[in-house]
Parts: sequence; structure tokens; C-alpha cells
Amino acid sequence: MKTESSAAYIARLAITLLLITAVVAAGLACVNAVTAPEIEALNVQKTQNAVEAVLPGGGEEIAFTDDSGIVSTIYKGQSGYAVEVTPAGFNGTVTMMVGVDNAGQVLGISIVNHTETAGLGAEAASQGAAGTAFRSQFAGMSGSVSVSKDGGQVDALTGATITSRAVCAGVNAALNAVSKLG
Amino acid sequence: MDFKKQFKEGLLYKNPVLVQLLGMCSTLAITTSLFNGIGMGLAVTAILICSNVLISALRNFIPSQIRIAAYITIIAGFVTIVDLALQAFIPALSASLGVFIPLIVVNCIVLGRAEAFASKNTVAASAVDGLCQGIGYTCALIIVCVIRELLGKGTFGGGILNGGEGIRLIPAQFPAMQMVMPVGGFLVLGFVIAGSQKLMMHLEMKIKKKEEAK
Repeated sequence: MKTESSAAYIARLAITLLLITAVVAAGLACVNAVTAPEIEALNVQKTQNAVEAVLPGGGEEIAFTDDSGIVSTIYKGQSGYAVEVTPAGFNGTVTMMVGVDNAGQVLGISIVNHTETAGLGAEAASQGAAGTAFRSQFAGMSGSVSVSKDGGQVDALTGATITSRAVCAGVNAALNAVSKLG
Repeated sequence: MDFKKQFKEGLLYKNPVLVQLLGMCSTLAITTSLFNGIGMGLAVTAILICSNVLISALRNFIPSQIRIAAYITIIAGFVTIVDLALQAFIPALSASLGVFIPLIVVNCIVLGRAEAFASKNTVAASAVDGLCQGIGYTCALIIVCVIRELLGKGTFGGGILNGGEGIRLIPAQFPAMQMVMPVGGFLVLGFVIAGSQKLMMHLEMKIKKKEEAK
């Protein structure tokens, strides 16, 4: 090792860092090869559970038109539709499934994925009393829904008005998309 | 290597949260239920041990000019491994902690221990340091979690006990929601730090008295 500014020393620094990043990247590739199929399978299972939770018997994917920009998939079953919507929440997108019957009424909702605040917005997806009560109030609603603060009929989650609004936006988009299916 | 001293320092005298005031972001953000506190604490402990060991092993190989970049790359690697493993094998914890797992990369405790300890000590001592600091972090999180959960939701053990609901200790209408919101995090953390200072002063007095008695 000569002076710290010599070309050889600078090259050594670059090569050392390159080596470290290459080894870390190789390690991550190995881990990803193991976990990726597991995560994929979990997500498929989760989506399927969510469809069945809001639409008894499940359904098949169908083609649709969407002008809200947040409807990602629609599944058609015997008693109605399960619509996957992705409204913007407090910390990112909330992926949720909305069941809508053939008459245009909400059958139920289920949150698939979210990054809301733990203990506040995340309650929307929890199996606890607050989460269950929040989700169950959507059943039977139709037309347009909004939280009571905005003059609507939905009681927002405590401390999580933004998340509650996101869920309402998702339900509205789903109802809209189904009404367009005719 | 003095295991007892390192353990005492990690747990109390140099506790990463209560004394060094590192890792505040996660301490304030996720301490709303016991499940979160234990999960986050164990994740950070695992990463801390792994990164300390590897950085200590490479301490003579990494030139000091690029050490921070090298440390962060190594830490980010371990964090991503833990993140992927949690998503694949413990999805409930992954869903509950969300973005705070990837954010362990910028948790100052991990980089702080790499810089302050692992880069100057043997592999074995660094592993012990990672374990002790990790336990100290976990304990501090659990204390804050239990207090915030009790005052904010009136329950104990949310996410684990009683089917995830937690055991209700205070009737549902009394708890102050603010305690699980950010303001409650700052308040509780402040009181816990004050309490730990009091405890340390008390222990110090005891040692002094003992010495005087001799």
C-alpha cells in the first residue's frame, strides 16, 4: 500500500467493495430462490381465501372495464362477484377484496395486504373485535359509501380516518365496476 | 472477554435504547403490542449478531475509507434475508411489522455496534456484544410495549395471548387511545428512560456504600 491517493489504492477500495456487494448479492439470490416460491404460494392462498371469504363458493376471473384505476381483478361466482381493489391508504396501497351480490349489495369485505400503521390503520385487517366490527358494517350497503365524518354511514376506525376512507373508496370502486358489468 | 460486563452493559448501563438513544424510529413506531415488541426485538437481535460476526471477521480486510459502505451492504443483506424469511415462514409477524423490518437497515443500533464494537474486537466478543445489545433492545421494547398497550388498549399480550386479542385488564371504555399513537410513544419512552436512570443511580449508590463499608 502506497499513498492513499494512488490509483492502485483507489482501485483496491473499489474492488474490495465490489467483492463485498457481489458476495451479498449472491447470498440474497440463494435465499430468494428458497423463499420466493413460498411467498408466491402464500399470496395465491391469501387471495383465494379472500375471494371465498366475501363470495361463498369462490369464483372465476372475468374481463372488465374500469375507470377508477384501482380495480385489479374481478371474480364471478354463483351469487355475485368478488372484486379486488387497491385504494391508496395512509402508508401505501391497501389490497382488499369486496364481495358484491347480483343485486349490487356488498356481501362483505376482506383486506388482503396493507402497510397501514400498526395498532391504528392496521386494525382494519385484524381479526380482533374492532377490525371485525369495522369490516362487517359494509355488508348490505349499496350505491355509494363514505365515513360518518364525511356524511356517510360508515363508522371509521378510531384514529384511522384515512385508512377508513381508503376502504370506503375501495368499496365504491368495486360497486361501480360491478354495476358496469350489468 | 467479559461476558457478565457485556451483558450488564447491554441490558442497562449501555442499553441501546435507554442510554445510547439509538433505534428510536422502531422503538416509537411499533411498540403498540407485545407481539410486535418481541418480534421486532428478536429480528434485530438476529441481524445484530450476524452483522457483528461478519464485520468483525472482515475487520482487517475492509479499508477504513469504505467501511461505512461495506457495513451497510452487509447489514442490508442480513435484513433482506430476515425480511424474506419472515414473509415466507411467519407471515403474521411480517404483516404486523410491515415496513419496519426493511427499515432495520437504517436502525442505528446495528451500524452503531458495527462501528463502535465489531470493527475493533474479536469475532467471539462481537457475537456476545450483538446478543447482549439485542437483548437490551428487546427488553426496552417490551417494557414500552407493555405500558403503551395497557394504557392505550387496556390489554396485555396483544397478538399472542387470548387468540391475538390480548388479556383485557382495563374495561374497554377507559383506555386512552393516545397512548398507542405517536404522542404516547414519546411520553412512555421518556418515563421509561427516567426510570432506568433512577435505577442506575440507585445501583451506583449501593456499590458506593458497599465500598465505604469496607
